[in-house]
Amino acid sequence: MNPVQRLLHTHCLRCLDSVFNTSLQHAVLHRRAVAHPLVAGFSHGQVMRSFHGSPGFTKAQSVRKDIDQYEDERKKKSLVTHDDLFEQAAKDSKTKATFNRVVDVFNKKDIRRRGHVEFIYAALKKMPEFGVERDIAVYNKLLDVFPKEVFVPRNFIQRMFNHYPRQQECGVQLLEQMESYGVLPNVETKVLLVQIFGEKSHPIRKYQRIMYWFPKFKHANPFPIPHNLPQDPVDLAKFSLTRIANDLDAEITVYQFPTTDISETGEEVSLPYVIGIQSPEQQSLLAKHNPSRPVFVEGPFPLWLRKTCVHYYVLRADPIPAEEKLEEQYDPELCGPGQSLFYPIWLDLDLERDLGDDDSFDVDDVTEGAIYAMCMTDQGDQVTLGKWISGLQESNPVLGRIPTLFRLESGTRELQTNTEACEGPESTPEPEPEPELETEVEHREEEHRHSERVQQ
Amino acid sequence: MNLNRLLLISKSVKLGSRLLTSRTGQTGKDLAAQLQVQRSIKTSSRNLAYAKDLFLGKVNKAEVFPYPEISNEELEEIKQLVSPVEKFFDEHVDSKKIDEEATIPPETMNGLKELGLFGIQVPEEYGGLGLSNTMYARLGEITSLDGSIAVTLAAHQAIGLKGILIAGTEEQKAKYLPKLATGEHVAAFCLTEPGSGSDAASIQTRATLTEDGKHFLINGSKIWISNGGWADIMTVFARTEVVDKDGQKKDKITAFIVERAFGGISSGKPEDKLGIRGSNTCEVTFEDTKVPVENVIGEVGGGFKVAMNILNGGRFTMGSAGAGMIKKLIELTADYAATRKQFNKRLSEFGMIQEKFAVMAQNAFVMESLSYLTAGMMDRPGLPDCSLEAAIVKVFSSEGGWVCVSEALQILGGLGYTKNYPYERYLRDCRILLIFEGTNEILRMFIALTGMQYAGKILTGKIKEMKKGNIGVVFEILGKKLKDNMVKTVDLGLTGKDGVVHPSLTDSAKMFEQNVVHFGSTVEGLLYRYGKSIVDEQLVLKRVADVLINLYAMTAVLSRTSRSIGIGLRNHDHEVLLTNTFCKEAYFKNNYLMAQLQKNSPESNDANIKKIAQEVLEKRAYICSHPLDRTF
Repeated sequence: MNPVQRLLHTHCLRCLDSVFNTSLQHAVLHRRAVAHPLVAGFSHGQVMRSFHGSPGFTKAQSVRKDIDQYEDERKKKSLVTHDDLFEQAAKDSKTKATFNRVVDVFNKKDIRRRGHVEFIYAALKKMPEFGVERDIAVYNKLLDVFPKEVFVPRNFIQRMFNHYPRQQECGVQLLEQMESYGVLPNVETKVLLVQIFGEKSHPIRKYQRIMYWFPKFKHANPFPIPHNLPQDPVDLAKFSLTRIANDLDAEITVYQFPTTDISETGEEVSLPYVIGIQSPEQQSLLAKHNPSRPVFVEGPFPLWLRKTCVHYYVLRADPIPAEEKLEEQYDPELCGPGQSLFYPIWLDLDLERDLGDDDSFDVDDVTEGAIYAMCMTDQGDQVTLGKWISGLQESNPVLGRIPTLFRLESGTRELQTNTEACEGPESTPEPEPEPELETEVEHREEEHRHSERVQQ
Repeated sequence: MNLNRLLLISKSVKLGSRLLTSRTGQTGKDLAAQLQVQRSIKTSSRNLAYAKDLFLGKVNKAEVFPYPEISNEELEEIKQLVSPVEKFFDEHVDSKKIDEEATIPPETMNGLKELGLFGIQVPEEYGGLGLSNTMYARLGEITSLDGSIAVTLAAHQAIGLKGILIAGTEEQKAKYLPKLATGEHVAAFCLTEPGSGSDAASIQTRATLTEDGKHFLINGSKIWISNGGWADIMTVFARTEVVDKDGQKKDKITAFIVERAFGGISSGKPEDKLGIRGSNTCEVTFEDTKVPVENVIGEVGGGFKVAMNILNGGRFTMGSAGAGMIKKLIELTADYAATRKQFNKRLSEFGMIQEKFAVMAQNAFVMESLSYLTAGMMDRPGLPDCSLEAAIVKVFSSEGGWVCVSEALQILGGLGYTKNYPYERYLRDCRILLIFEGTNEILRMFIALTGMQYAGKILTGKIKEMKKGNIGVVFEILGKKLKDNMVKTVDLGLTGKDGVVHPSLTDSAKMFEQNVVHFGSTVEGLLYRYGKSIVDEQLVLKRVADVLINLYAMTAVLSRTSRSIGIGLRNHDHEVLLTNTFCKEAYFKNNYLMAQLQKNSPESNDANIKKIAQEVLEKRAYICSHPLDRTF
């Protein structure tokens, strides 16, 4: 039965309950009881409060075995926390399958589901460990641990007071965890919640709130990052560069593919990847750059993509001093009023825009130097970046005449370890780089400039 | 031949005397004398500014009333010319074949040449027909029946040889015009370049003086040159280095007459076009083309003015061309509508079909009125600047033509969509009218900005006083506004005792006057609000241009119909009907447009329009989610 049908079915049943007498109920419920042999064996008087197993139950042999095992252990150790159950399972492997098996074990162990609240709390805590924190099916399976219809208030007094508060809290907690991981409940979740807590319970309210806000915020970020970033560093670099540039015209160039070679001496030589991005507009800006002023290769700058940190380098110039700024002017004789072939692009009037119609904001603009290109590489040394610059020269011949200075921060290594730090919480950031490194870079910079001149 | 000039002079005298005689009945001698004085002043240094004056809320009625007319001799002459041309187009022009084969057959071309259609405006002393603008417009009505031929002829004489005609020396004229007039040589106009479409100022083609100073070497390429493939004489615009007054070297544009025989000229493959397929459009490349210095049109560095005058003057013919086309379409479709039956009723009995015919008739009527009014203005003695009026004619008639052809096609329904009928060809052909000789967008900018510049010059002082908060000026303006609001009637003297509009058009004339006054104050308000930064307010300028186009069209129909009633032309009651209908429609359109132009007007959607476009263009795509998309 699909979830919606089931929901309807439950609704129907309830209507019937309130209207008809027991005979009909008996008949119907009998059928259901037969359908689920696991939950058979309760007296007719308790029908309304019966446990209903979900059809999702598996009856694999392994489960039976696990249950036995668990029972055995329980006999040995009367006080077993549910964390232990997961830790035991985690011994083999931490996957969705093992997680599900643990849940199954718990379900099979006790028909009354004793201690299910504690179990669910424990399971929620362990979910990220098993890598199932974003899996809606697992959440539904956890919800399924709750016994059905037991906690549904049956009269207005129950409804008025917080009926089975611990269970409801637990349900809300589960939904909250879903929320914080950005998992959107589905119809099955709703069906389960209705079956467990009834139509007007706190978990259902929570569910409704989630369903109200989640879709609204789903596309709130105009620059969404996919959950699964590209694994290949080249693809990742391409993705990151297009993301920073945010220019549809910008073109990605792979200046060097990552390769690993064995040199003659038997050493392994790996070439880092160098990937750059440049838009036609940047090219034309660079072409206009005054060759007597240097351009700078700067970096690395961090870019965070969810939990990953990548680094990029920019080729930029200092802001153009005011006296050198050349405004491109149309020939006023060709475009003025009464002079133009088609229409004038300026009017010869001594009238300014009225203040009331001046909608522009007063913004203090800080002029910055133009950024001519960006690149990413996994090895931010000068040699590698030099390859980028020489690659750029092919499309920007002017670069051959402009002195290029490398202003690299030696922080690369530190930041790279930081990347690890963010992934593994245990590692600590490395200490500040030593000052000698800076001078070294400067020294190399001098060398590079020298070589540049020689090239010219 | 000088007869033509004589005619012109005699016509102008007649105009003056007509003014006198037509007034004397109603107005008495004082006014007649006054008018005469006015006219004599105008003719001494004529500064024609009818459309421009509308920006100030003034109706310079002497310029447009009475409607210009030609003498009986000229009428006879044109009638004699028109009938063979009409016959030729009926019998010897197979438009369908021209369209399919994408070329005009040589025998058709020869026929056109024999009729003298290649030298309509070339003076008779150089072997042309030497017709006035008005008569040229009349012939345009017929030549427009085939789009390809019309464009070929227009490229030849409206722009191609016009440079020689208006700015050439006697030697140049004597050397080139005779052969061009007979069609032995075909002319082309080479201005547009790959890097400069409508922005003609960024021309890259260069002409360098050779060392002996006797020749220019032209290098560069021009695109979308009509007749580029078969033209023998070209008017080419190129940059030349000119030493200006301060002794500085500057690049200026110079116009040259270039013969294909000079060498170094190559034409590209003809473009495969949507419409006007029989005309030849291609790229022309100049490679060290050696042009003698004598072939400079005007002076070196003065090419810009030449280009401007050619372009601005050539546009008015599009009005009569459009009208000619629509008149033909009305005949074709009316036949169909009157015979075809649906639901046991003729098509012509359905209201929606009737409306289409009304639209077509009205558009043809307005276009005719506009183009002959403008042609008449241009034919007056002196050097009238009718660029604004000509641009209005072009915009109105190209858009009206497009609507009408589409409606005509619609009347036939599916049949119109097939190649069995000429409608789809007309539709394709007339689409170019919205694009060439300055796209309509650019012409709207031209219309609005030229007027704004004119009005701005005059109003600057007043607006500045207002901004300073000069109590006197402010009160004067407030008082005027109050008066305008209180007294709804506006009187610019078109109707009434000394009116120029026939009494049966009083209502329309009143509407027109109200619009004009309102327009004047709107323009003033816009100048107050935007000042010179109005060049960047394209949506505002578009409306300003639209209002002006409507106003000028209203003037044209009022003037034309007043004359028709006055001299009792056939079916002038129909003209009255058309005029009143058009004026009413235009009046409400104008009111709406001007309401949109007010500050913070709820009718104006400009901010939203800009934002929509920005958001779409930022992503360069349609950005809405698909209606079937879901979020959960």
